[in-house]
Amino acid sequence: MTQTQTKTHAYKADIFCQDESRVDWHSKALWTLREKRDRAAKQLPEWEQLRTLGSQIKLHTLSNLGQYLETFEANCLANGIQVHWAKDATEHNQIAYDILSRHKVKKLVKSKSMLTEECHMNPYLEQRGIEVIDTDLGERIIQLAKQPPSHIVVPAIHMKKEEVGELFHEKINTQAGASDPTYLTRAARAHLREQFLSADAAMTGVNMAVADQGAVIVCTNEGNADMGANLPGVQIHSMGIDKLVPDMDSAAVILRTLARNATGQPITTYSSIYKAPKSGGEMHVIIVDNGRSDMLQDNILAESLKCIRCGGCLNTCPVYRRSGGFSYNYTIPGPIGIAVGASDDDSNSIPWACTLCGSCSYVCPTKVPLDKIIARHRRLKAEQGQLPYGKRHYMPLVGKLMANETALNCSMSIARTSLKILPHSLLKPFAGAWGKYRELPAGADSSFEAWFKRNREQK
Amino acid sequence: MSSKHTILAALKQSAVVTAPKPLINIEPISVSGLNESNELSLVEQFATNLSTVAGKLITQGGKSALAEHIQSLIEQDKSVLSFVAGVTGNRQSPDRAHEMHDVDFTVLEGQVAVAENGAIWVTLPEQHRVTPFICENLIITIKRDTIVANMHQAMKAIDFNACEFGVFIAGPSKTADIEQALVVGAHGACSLDVYLI
Ligand code: SF4
Repeated sequence: MTQTQTKTHAYKADIFCQDESRVDWHSKALWTLREKRDRAAKQLPEWEQLRTLGSQIKLHTLSNLGQYLETFEANCLANGIQVHWAKDATEHNQIAYDILSRHKVKKLVKSKSMLTEECHMNPYLEQRGIEVIDTDLGERIIQLAKQPPSHIVVPAIHMKKEEVGELFHEKINTQAGASDPTYLTRAARAHLREQFLSADAAMTGVNMAVADQGAVIVCTNEGNADMGANLPGVQIHSMGIDKLVPDMDSAAVILRTLARNATGQPITTYSSIYKAPKSGGEMHVIIVDNGRSDMLQDNILAESLKCIRCGGCLNTCPVYRRSGGFSYNYTIPGPIGIAVGASDDDSNSIPWACTLCGSCSYVCPTKVPLDKIIARHRRLKAEQGQLPYGKRHYMPLVGKLMANETALNCSMSIARTSLKILPHSLLKPFAGAWGKYRELPAGADSSFEAWFKRNREQK
Repeated sequence: MSSKHTILAALKQSAVVTAPKPLINIEPISVSGLNESNELSLVEQFATNLSTVAGKLITQGGKSALAEHIQSLIEQDKSVLSFVAGVTGNRQSPDRAHEMHDVDFTVLEGQVAVAENGAIWVTLPEQHRVTPFICENLIITIKRDTIVANMHQAMKAIDFNACEFGVFIAGPSKTADIEQALVVGAHGACSLDVYLI
């Protein structure tokens, strides 16, 4: 295999980890979200029942996805909504551009959509002369800073308020040195209102597409999707094929868990249901595959399409919290990012950005078996002969050693003795990257096997 | 082959085992420790959850309290747009939605209120859809008997066939995108008062 240009997760995480206090700050901010999520979940006695239902609803829809998509399309058309199908990112961008250029759109206001990030739509439209304004505050911050999102729910979580203040001072004329979140948010409100009022078209992501209604549901706290979609004449909603749910009863289950699992709120401020164009306006829905139907062909990877993008798995992940969102080689970071992005990662490293602790799977509101999916990606990489550099060489040896009882017992006994009698400074180089930030363990007195024989076996 | 057919053909290769549609049958959470009738406890739950999403419930005085409040706002030179019968504002709904950008207060009727999360279902069949979002402050009225326990009941109470656009509103707009500090008042309304009428 040839070494690629893409840097590995470990390499990029190393950069993030150089500033230790920032790592602690980042980890704590996300853990706070996790704690809020736990409190919200605990308040609902039926929480586990909702998770089970969420998983069943999504699995049921995915297993009949073709039918549901066709029902959805038919109902949308009956409601006067124009429906487009895109097999990949390029086609999605072309469709969006066609709609916009037909209406001579100069300015597009956009609310958060990980799908358009995945399609790299902004640069595509900008190259063709359309100004694209991200209107979610976090998204606007990173857009002004010319960065990608580092989290799917809180995209600017990696930035400190002082940095936002400096950026706003430079770009939207706030006072120099101001870093008060309320002041900065109000300034952004004023700045973005001008954009909403002067936009020619709006685009939003889709949280759920309701098949039997021919409607899309869009959830935000800021109201930016609705300020956008309801002012100009043209509104476009981009959705992955995985966003379908059968009906409003199913949507209710997911609306109950989405915000609670994301930020600990009982529901987002606005959950809007768009079921027809506004009078005199046009409403478009773009249904996008872009690799999703491939994923459905592997019954383990398929379950990653149950994801409702709450971000809960990122907030709980010990690796994400300490390596930052920019280390994953994919638009979506964290456990779910590995699940949906690992196949395209040519550094072949992100399936290993995981301890397999399983915390993500336990918090997921639709029970996406993230740890199982990540383990599956490791296997797929191994089968394709694409284990990351290093692992390729020593893992087969480790396998042989572990399979041979005498050799394993013998080497473990050497290790125990060495840990006891040799200075750790001498042993550390043998621990490789593992030992870089860790103390070596104290050597045990005997092997577990011997201990077990002594203490348990006779009892 | 069109992209639609390419996608649908690819979906035929799906490895997902056919799963039945689950029965969604969740009983409303029972509220213990309250001596009031169930109806009153729903009001209490709604009020509590509305306050966690930064809204405020006004239970006393009904519509006349609201009308008085609006009167005093107008005396303070505020612009008020009202869609509630018996409550008069000093602004009319304009031809072009954009002209509502400087409305200080909008008064709307809520159709269904959800106790578990403080959300209120609002539809705007005749008006500009941006109405509840573009105003600086929002006031919504709800009737006591439209409060339901949870989202499952809300979905049953709403007639989606008749609606082209509707929104569950839970409190004023808010954000925590700058260092996780909660700021009330992002792009939508900066405050939400709910009058029980
Ligand atoms: S995988 Fe689960 S926890 Fe992670 S973002 Fe998706 S729904 Fe949320």
